Amino acid sequence: MSREEVFAALNEVFQDVFDDTSIKVKDETTSEDIDGWDSLEHINLIAAVEQEFGMKFSMGQVVTMKNVGEMADIILSQVKD
Amino acid sequence: MQATFTSFYFLCFYACILLIYYLIPKKTQWFFLLSVSVAYYLLTGNGLLIAYPAASCLAAYAGIRVMAGTEDAGKRRLALFGVAAALLGILAVLKYVNFAVNTVNGIAGMLGADEEVLHGLRLLAPLGVSFYTFSILGYVIDVYNKIAVPQKNFFRLALYGMYFPVILSGPILRYREDGEQFFLPHSFNYRQVTFGLQRMVWGFFKVLVISERMNIVVNTVYDNYASYAGLPIWIATVCFAFQLYTNFSGSMDIVLGMSQTFGLKMPENFQTPFFAENISEYWRKWHISLGVWMKEYVFYPLLRTGTFTKLGKRLRERFGKKRGKQLTTFLGMFVLWLTVGIWHGGDWKFVIGSGLLHWFYIVSGELLQPFFEKFMVKFHIAPKSRWLGGFRILRTFFLVNIGFVFFRAESLSAAVHMLKAAVSFRRIGTLTGSAAFALGLDWIEAVIAAVSLLILLAVSLLQQKGSVRERIEKKKLPVRFAIWYALLFYTILLGYYGPEYSAAEFIYQGF
Repeated sequence: MSREEVFAALNEVFQDVFDDTSIKVKDETTSEDIDGWDSLEHINLIAAVEQEFGMKFSMGQVVTMKNVGEMADIILSQVKD
Repeated sequence: MQATFTSFYFLCFYACILLIYYLIPKKTQWFFLLSVSVAYYLLTGNGLLIAYPAASCLAAYAGIRVMAGTEDAGKRRLALFGVAAALLGILAVLKYVNFAVNTVNGIAGMLGADEEVLHGLRLLAPLGVSFYTFSILGYVIDVYNKIAVPQKNFFRLALYGMYFPVILSGPILRYREDGEQFFLPHSFNYRQVTFGLQRMVWGFFKVLVISERMNIVVNTVYDNYASYAGLPIWIATVCFAFQLYTNFSGSMDIVLGMSQTFGLKMPENFQTPFFAENISEYWRKWHISLGVWMKEYVFYPLLRTGTFTKLGKRLRERFGKKRGKQLTTFLGMFVLWLTVGIWHGGDWKFVIGSGLLHWFYIVSGELLQPFFEKFMVKFHIAPKSRWLGGFRILRTFFLVNIGFVFFRAESLSAAVHMLKAAVSFRRIGTLTGSAAFALGLDWIEAVIAAVSLLILLAVSLLQQKGSVRERIEKKKLPVRFAIWYALLFYTILLGYYGPEYSAAEFIYQGF
């Protein structure tokens, strides 16, 4: 799976979770940039991303990832094809 | 020696420490702070109680070393559970056994038992046990999750757990962000030290001038609550809100300011919480370090357990995606708020007033949101209008105050009695001009309190636009001096040092 493909899929997950089709995520996108991405929604987002990519974030990754770029890196390191 | 940072002896103790801290070799600064922390704990009460934080640090150190030495998931988990059981076990015995005993006795009493079914424990809890336990436990969990460096030196871990400004009333620390700075060399930095001292003066102003005066009104009504109804209860409750805020946030100003003079940056615990427009925002601004701890170590792990994941799936299938997700979050939040309430103390008044009542507010707010939105469209209310913002701030403050009635009242039943009496409109007119001063403050004291609250309000409004200290720093020298010395002398002259001077203990110190 390429980085572009990961971002395309992530975009759909974000649009679905935050109910906003105008969302376009980039490497540097953080919770500050998206309405409704608070600590409650963060955990729902994580679950939705895990389901989409069939992978699991560790608890450490859940609380330390700083932006969508880091999220994509973790996904790429776990999803081989 | 008095444990409070506001005591004269403590300030002499602190001045000596600060001087020595910058005179000794930088490599030894952290060990000096550890020695001072131990001495402070020994001097502030029953010295033997230091065995508790020392034992907690030792248990954490043992667990961390086991985790650092193995990649075996089973062993690491066992070490984590061992430390968590030890730390939470101590906390439970010290703070919650009597809560359970009292609850059982209360139920037995309602069922007709004449005598106590169970007898409570008479244990003296060490100061700040809830704070240091959470700082240490959070670190062990982070080491388990491999996001914090396992400390090799027990004494360094002991400093993190027992650092004297923080141990009594927080903030709750996170090693991965706050821990390593203790062990770096710290050179004397004039700006850091003066900024720290300035913040301490601001903290003293909040604690001694405002909080202590509010305390008089609060005690007058709450200690004799059966005699009051209507307006005096509301006045005393609002005074308690400001008492608690100025006491707790003022103590944090002293702790953070003092740490800044040592070159250490501790996490902020408050961000003008009474300007919050809803309860969720309020909790992001009030006791921030507790909220962050609860989110990372209770709420997230809970929602990621197999049981909750399965439950969430079932609820989504049953109630649809959006509502199912919402219900799962509500259930998780129930456990979260129950834990927050219990953390505040082994009493139902805390479980309700600082826990479940806030859960109820948040859940009701979420469920009623669609109706509010329709209402606003119907009556052409702009969602971002200033009036609406102001109304939301007042509404949130009112809701928080209901919780404070439980927090401050002597018991759950006293809180319910006071809330009923507070809305007893039949007697609401009892408070006239002179009666207001009968709440414990004469008119001069009331004017000082009002002026001080206005200063607090003005500074809080300025804080919305950035650091006030940095702004003052840019002024000319005479203006800077005038501002800081005016605040210092205002605090020294008007700080409340009455017969209850020792009452200037931090309210949260008991937790």
